[in-house]
Amino acid sequence: MSSAPGSAPDQVLALRASRGDVEAFRQLVQEHSGLVYRVALRILGTDDAQDASQEVWVRVWRNIKNFRGDSTFSTWLYRITVNTCLSARRKEVRRGGREYSGDEMPFLPEPPGGDADPEAAALGAERREEIQAALGHVRAEHRAALVLRHMEGLSYTEIAKVLGVPDGTAKGWVSRGRATMLIALVEEDHGHRRAGGAAG
Amino acid sequence: MMSVGEQRWEMLERIGAYAAGELEGEEAREVEQLIFERPDYRRLAESYARMLLMLTTLGNEPVEAPEAVVGYAIRRAYVSAFMRSAEVFIGALGRSYLNALVYYLGLKRESYGGGT
Repeated sequence: MSSAPGSAPDQVLALRASRGDVEAFRQLVQEHSGLVYRVALRILGTDDAQDASQEVWVRVWRNIKNFRGDSTFSTWLYRITVNTCLSARRKEVRRGGREYSGDEMPFLPEPPGGDADPEAAALGAERREEIQAALGHVRAEHRAALVLRHMEGLSYTEIAKVLGVPDGTAKGWVSRGRATMLIALVEEDHGHRRAGGAAG
Repeated sequence: MMSVGEQRWEMLERIGAYAAGELEGEEAREVEQLIFERPDYRRLAESYARMLLMLTTLGNEPVEAPEAVVGYAIRRAYVSAFMRSAEVFIGALGRSYLNALVYYLGLKRESYGGGT
């Protein structure tokens, strides 16, 4: 969560942009557009990520005069990105219950070459689709927390700041998101195996 | 009293937290013991580890925003900045004309600021 080496620090650029300096804003966009798009892609999927990313930058430009530097620019940007994505998913109905009714605990089979196999660790297109589909089964707030924790590598304190909730809530959302995602991933995996078996 | 489904869910979350390396001390030892005793819990912990590895791997892959996103954001900012400048300019021009008209009509005395 820091600016690239050699570039003007984000705080300085943000301050200049807040005074209407479009060149500073351009530098911020170029440096952080990957972050915004990546998070939107993980939370919303391919279809909506582009529109959401554009909306994020419109909101950033509109609100940058309110950026006071209390948190880092990237935390502020994560916050706008996640809020934009969540408002796009506000009406979504997802599994939210804290019960597991399966007969046995979910189990994700070992990849063919084993866990230590680097080829197996590299994700194939099918696996990516399964992950994205499984993420789609997780309630939007929990999904955002899960993405920030396990894909963006943020601490719980940072996640709490981004989501505007207490640390404990952030931890609970990640935990629930993790469990829901595993169940969904196991179901996706079984579905693919059944489809593969039927085809072969 | 928790239902069986709720108890299972709690165990799912606890083993998930253990697999993510988020448990410490007594809590971690308790889960380790359960994993040691129950093959289904062991498989669950391994499944979590696999899933977390996949998430981390995917999260570490570089993602570039489409050029259209970057271009759109910068264009919008330039247009918005131009509009702001135009607004300020037109506002200042309007005020100047108004002052000139007031002066021309003799509605306000000429004043030279600064001196006493």
